[in-house]
Parts: sequence; C-alpha cells; structure tokens
Amino acid sequence: MSMITVAGRHTGSPSIHGSMAPIIFMLVLLIICIAAAAGNTSEESFLDEVKAVDRKFDNRSVPLDHYVAEDTVLAKENYQGGPFRVLARKKRIERYKCSSCHGDKPITVNEGKELTHADIELEHGRSDAGLTCIDCHHPEKRDYLEDKKGRKIDFDHSYQLCGQCHFRQKRDWLGGAHGKRVTNWAGDRVVFNCTTCHNPHSPRFEKRFPATYSVPIE
Amino acid sequence: MCSDRPKSNDLARLPLFEQAGSRRSFIKSLSIAAAAGSAALTTGCIPSVEAAGSEEFKLRWQEFFKKNYRLMTQEEKDATVRRLERLAKMSDDLDIQMTSHPPLAGVLYGYAFNITRCEGFMECVTACVEENNLDRKTNTQYIRIFEMEPGQLDPSTGDGQYYHEVPVENKFYMGTQCFHCEKAPCTKACPTKATWKEPDGIVVVDYDWCIGCRYCQAACPYYGRRFNWGKPEVPQEEVTRRQHYLGNRIRPKGKMEKCTFCIQRTRRGRLPACVEACPTGARVFGNLLDPDSEIRYVLKHKKVFRMKEELGTQPKFWYFID
Repeated sequence: MSMITVAGRHTGSPSIHGSMAPIIFMLVLLIICIAAAAGNTSEESFLDEVKAVDRKFDNRSVPLDHYVAEDTVLAKENYQGGPFRVLARKKRIERYKCSSCHGDKPITVNEGKELTHADIELEHGRSDAGLTCIDCHHPEKRDYLEDKKGRKIDFDHSYQLCGQCHFRQKRDWLGGAHGKRVTNWAGDRVVFNCTTCHNPHSPRFEKRFPATYSVPIE
Repeated sequence: MCSDRPKSNDLARLPLFEQAGSRRSFIKSLSIAAAAGSAALTTGCIPSVEAAGSEEFKLRWQEFFKKNYRLMTQEEKDATVRRLERLAKMSDDLDIQMTSHPPLAGVLYGYAFNITRCEGFMECVTACVEENNLDRKTNTQYIRIFEMEPGQLDPSTGDGQYYHEVPVENKFYMGTQCFHCEKAPCTKACPTKATWKEPDGIVVVDYDWCIGCRYCQAACPYYGRRFNWGKPEVPQEEVTRRQHYLGNRIRPKGKMEKCTFCIQRTRRGRLPACVEACPTGARVFGNLLDPDSEIRYVLKHKKVFRMKEELGTQPKFWYFID
C-alpha cells in the first residue's frame, strides 16, 4: 500500500495513480509467485546429502552381536571397498577330497550309483547343448575345477569359474547387487559363494509353494 | 491446588445445574467444580507410589507416567527397559532382553528390492513374523508380496493373496513394507508425536505414547502400518527374546506397529530378518552413507525406482532390476 501512495505522490496525477496501482500490484504478485516456484523446484533431497559423502565409513566401528559362524576364505578379488571373504565350499562337499577315489589306485565301489555320481542331474546350460562334467571340473586334477583358459580353480573360489559365462552376475555379486551378505551388514564383508545358493549342476531354483500366505489387510 | 481444597466441601451445595442462573455464574461454578476435582486427584483418590502394595502395581504406575521416548535421558530409557523386562517376567513369565540402543553415527539405512530376482517364496514374511513377535491370531504381516503381471509396477494391480507353486512363468514378484520415507507423512499425522524418524533414518513408534487413533495409517500412501486390535498372541516358545524398545517388543493392545528395519538387529550391525531369510538374494540392505556399501552400488549401477515417487515422500526403499 505504501508503494502505491508513493507512486501516486511522485506523479501527482490521480488518473495515473489509479491505472498504475493494479499493474504494480500484479508485478509484485508475479515476482512472489516466481520466487515461490523456484523454491519448490530446488527442493532438496536427502540423496544430495548422501551423494556428497565421500568419506569412508568404518564398518568395523559398528558393535556386533553376531559373528559369522561358517567357515570363510579370503576372496581372490576385491570389491569396491577392498578385500572381502566368501563362505567356504570344500568342507560342505561330502566326499571331498575327490582324489581319494579319483586316483591311480583301483577302488571297490559298494554303493555304485551314488559313488559314481549317477545321481547327479545335470541341468546347466542350454537345453540343446548343456554342459558336461569336464566343462567345469578339471579332467586330471580332480580336486580342482578348470576354466576355459585351462587355469586350475579351487572349489572355494568357484566364482572365478562361474564368472566366465555369468560375467554380469559376477560383476553384480562383487558390487553387492547379486547374492547376499552373511548375517551382518556391518563388520568385515562376508558374502555367499555362488554355490551356497545355486546347485552348480542345476542352478535354477526349483518351483515350490511359498512359505506362507497373506490375508487381506483389514 | 492445595488452596482450592476447602471449596470441595461446598461442592455438594453448589447450584450447578439446578438454577437457571446466568451464563457467568454457570461457568464460575463449573470451574470451581473442576478445581475441586483436580484437587481430589492430587490429594488422595489414587495412592502414591510409596503406598502401592504390589511390585507390579508400582512398575505399571511408573510406566504410565513415563515420558515420551525422545524426551528420556539414557538413564530413564534404561529404567523403563528394566521395568518392561520385569513386567514381562511377572505377567507372561518371559525372560526377555530389551535394549534401547541409540542410532549409530554416520549411518543412514537404505533398502533395495530386486524385482528380477524375487520369486515369491515368501520366506521373508515368515522370518519377519517370527523376529518381530507379530500377532499369530490375526496373521499380522509387515511385508506383502504381490504377484505382478509384466509391465505393471503398481502393486495394487497385483495379486497379494496367491498361494500356489512359485515362480509362475511370465509373472514377477514385488514386495512392499514400510519404506521409511525421509519425509514421512505418517509422522506428521500423529497427534501425540508418538512416531518419528530417527537420525539413522528408521521411522519408529513409541508404543506407549501411541493412542491408537490410526491417523498415521490413513496418512501412509504405502499401507505400511498395522494396527493391533488385540494383544498380540505369540506362543511362548516362539517369542524373540532379544528386543528393542522401539522395535519388536510385544505391543500392547490398540497400538500402531510397523516394520522398523529390525531395529534390534540393525543397530548391532546385523541384517534385518527378511534380508537374512531371502533365499534368492533379492533384498539388499546397507548404509547409504558408506560409499562402498552394497546399497550404494545398487543405486549407482542399477536401474532403480521408488514407489509413488511423485508424492515427494522420499522413501529409502528402492526397487531395481538386474
């Protein structure tokens, strides 16, 4: 209001006073509206704050109640945060070491079907051109796996073998978008091995009934 | 208050409703009656703490008059936790270990859900029910899994009540729960300030300050909150003993509850029960303020989206595809 009276006093003309006032008023309104709209569009997200954090978080500073009880081995590759551990595999293979049967000595087989691995159903790879045993297993050194470059691979580090075809999954597994951590989100990183979740001979999850069902909400 | 006390003797003779007196005299006599009533309250209708007979009465008395969790000092938090442990022992014969661990410094929790990986086994749901002492009678569940048609991204179009062999070809599965919005509308709706966002991003409920009005349930655009119509019924041997004041302690009747990212676990470095139970690795949980964390990897390298992002609630729960 004071602005309008000032304008009127300067011009000294009541007719201009009458015509200018609404225009100035509208201009002021417009400026306020633009300012308000600009304020809205630049609404801050917590993600800006999140992205601005570049300082490393010390995962070991978190007090832990539970520790990983399973056997683990140090992975031969690093993730974005450095070295990490994976669940060991060899101790979970019932009849490891394989060389105790697969050697030069002839052995007597009592439970033939099981001990000759005839119980393994191999459903890995394309249906028309599936994988065979020695696509992954080392043909001579039976305590190891072998990749396509002929490198010997330890059973505990099977991700090195799986990753040669499933490289996208391996990349995500290293980063953390595939697979999962064991027990803790904090502390030293321990993740599931490929074979903890997938049966290497038949890696697809089997169909089954869900663990429970949901009732309608109220 | 004490000066008002003699007036209570005159209370019986006050012409409260009998005379058709003026409005002024009516209000005056009403205020006198109110003062007399409050005087009676402070001077003897209810016995004081010292006069209370049983230990249980004493504990319940102290529980009734405790402060909002956010106004308590650590000593007061410890005291109420001890009282609740003792009360659980006395009334339900349960040996629980309750904590009130504060948020961790430099931690903001985030969650990601892989809709390519989830196959609808619902093991997350059973793990959540067991961990959080959810009511078995009404089958309360914080998590819902929807069987979705390809191309749909709104769970309300999906089937949330499937029970058949999963996964079904050409369907995908999408889980919902509390998304722990950074601008949570539920916390604004609460008339008693019984729900709020903790500094580590977890939206929590002080069950003892909740009055059960369910405004927060109406305000939540994600159906993230559940209401206790009765006292939760959990078989004694299935009760999770390790509890948190703001987390999985057994809720009283008539209170609001919700997913707390398993606050009793996550504040001790552990994964939430749903993440730990997931057989397919579809659930990723971690610290958003750690540039090397799994959740940050997902946000940086995957196609992510949040549900109803246009509402501006800023959930800390992302869906992603491989």
